[in-house]
Amino acid sequence: MSLLDTVITIIRVLFAAFIPVCFLAVMVWMERRGCGFIQDRSGPNRANVFGFRLMGIVQNLADGLKLAFKEDVIPAHIKYKFYYVLAPVIVFTIAIVSFASVPFADALVLGGKSYLMQGIPTDLGILWFMAIVGFAVYGIILAGWSSHNKYGMLGGLRAAAQVISYEIPLGLALISLLIVYGTVNLTGIVQYQGQLLFGFIPMWGVVLQPLGAIIFIVAAFAEANRVPFDLVEGESEIVAGFHIEYSGMKFAMFFMGEYVAMFTSSAIIVSLYFGGFQIPWLSTAFMVEHTRLVVILLMIALPLLAYLVVGWIRKNNRNRFLPRESDPDVFEATWYIRLLWAAVILLELVLLIFLIIGAGGAAARILAACLQVATFLVKVTFMCFVYVWVRWTLPRFRYDQLQRLGWQTLIPLSLLNIFITGAIVVVLS
Amino acid sequence: MLVDLLYTCFAVFSVLGALGLIIFRHPMNGAMSFLITLISIAGLYALLSAKLLFALQLIVYAGAIMSMIVFIIMFLNIQPEELPAEKTKVIYLVGGAVAVLPVAFFLIKVIKRLPNMPISFASEGFGGVKEVGLIFFTEWLVPFEIVSILLLVALVGAVVLAGKREKNK
Repeated sequence: MSLLDTVITIIRVLFAAFIPVCFLAVMVWMERRGCGFIQDRSGPNRANVFGFRLMGIVQNLADGLKLAFKEDVIPAHIKYKFYYVLAPVIVFTIAIVSFASVPFADALVLGGKSYLMQGIPTDLGILWFMAIVGFAVYGIILAGWSSHNKYGMLGGLRAAAQVISYEIPLGLALISLLIVYGTVNLTGIVQYQGQLLFGFIPMWGVVLQPLGAIIFIVAAFAEANRVPFDLVEGESEIVAGFHIEYSGMKFAMFFMGEYVAMFTSSAIIVSLYFGGFQIPWLSTAFMVEHTRLVVILLMIALPLLAYLVVGWIRKNNRNRFLPRESDPDVFEATWYIRLLWAAVILLELVLLIFLIIGAGGAAARILAACLQVATFLVKVTFMCFVYVWVRWTLPRFRYDQLQRLGWQTLIPLSLLNIFITGAIVVVLS
Repeated sequence: MLVDLLYTCFAVFSVLGALGLIIFRHPMNGAMSFLITLISIAGLYALLSAKLLFALQLIVYAGAIMSMIVFIIMFLNIQPEELPAEKTKVIYLVGGAVAVLPVAFFLIKVIKRLPNMPISFASEGFGGVKEVGLIFFTEWLVPFEIVSILLLVALVGAVVLAGKREKNK
């Protein structure tokens, strides 16, 4: 292994391990503030460090500290302590490991070698995701069973039945997609989506497989046990479902596992149906060839974007009801704006150096990869927001409605979709 | 070196898991130790560069079938006092071990007698999704379809059996 191999491996593993965990903070924040936004209230915005609240992100830190320092209780009635402790570990680990096969940039060609930018550079792709995600149900079952509590057991039963039955439409929707792409390798799938349909529409999965996309997204919501399929924790009926007997860090593991699973399934949805790391109309080859053009466009776009963001920060950081002499909100906002401009200037400098020194092959490819990582993260963030959006918009299904939707609507629809897709693919080829 | 280590780990764990399935009294313990066996076997497939088989082992056996079994164990919620008293278990275990011992010696001898052949590594793309699919749908199409009919028969049989019980009520 050369030095380059080692560096690339470290980058891959770090990305695949840390990005889901970092997104935890973003997503918990998005959930709470998004919920507040949709319900027309502020959401948590008081916790601060030296007066800086970071739009409420500091609240996560406070919550995390609270959970970490809570007493780690194992209720006395629990007989199988090993499984009781193992369950949250399984849920959290599975959620992170299943992200390992998602590509976050196009295959990077450096020094004559092509590096797949995935946590684990395997061409198993979506099969890896399916294989690992299947284990999440063990965490739920073990938690429900070992809690030795009626509510916990009911929650575990519901969750397990739901996850097992929604895996079928998920897999069937995937089959019709794989017929179109002709590969299971996620990097290959995303590369396929870089093409253009009729010369101007990006060939994203959602364009080629609209029905499949809907089925997959619905099934993915159910797999993540999110509203409208969160009967698992139906508070009004079974209190909190399978995590009723958990507290402190063990509860936090379940909580984090849920959000990481949400992130992973957003990443998979984006990779399969929304072009993954592909920037629409900007293929990797184009970016590598016309690096200077891309860099100049970026250098123009960055300050404009920053200007808009600054306007937004100003608008939201003032007290509308009580004009004060030295408003702490305004003080906070000025610092954010300074930091933002500093970041923009730094980026501009980097880009300028890049422009002057000249874009060699390797540098251009790395720049393209960085842009693709940014695109991927933006898309995934938006998909995560869709999860939040749906959660605070739709009511919960009844249990029989949930199973009927899975077995009587989604499965026949996905079978029909496979049939139609197969026919079209055969006719067109 | 790493491969040898992994191989030893997977082999040991698969045997230990199978042992646990027989020895543990509570069905949940048995199911979980069997799960370890299934995962270790998937690891062995991966070491043999049979990628698709690795994924399928995890998806179908470890992911789907075992989770169904564990689900049923949870559903029945068996308490330790409801389990049958297995008084003859030790006798069967020891007797079985004694009966299998000569076979094991024989197998070890056979393996030691194997001629020392040069090891050839699997070619590029061996065991991938495409290669296995091509073999299935060209050379082994008829057996493949017959197996799928077998599965269909089992499925219909299960539905018929489940339906009959409903009528008797």
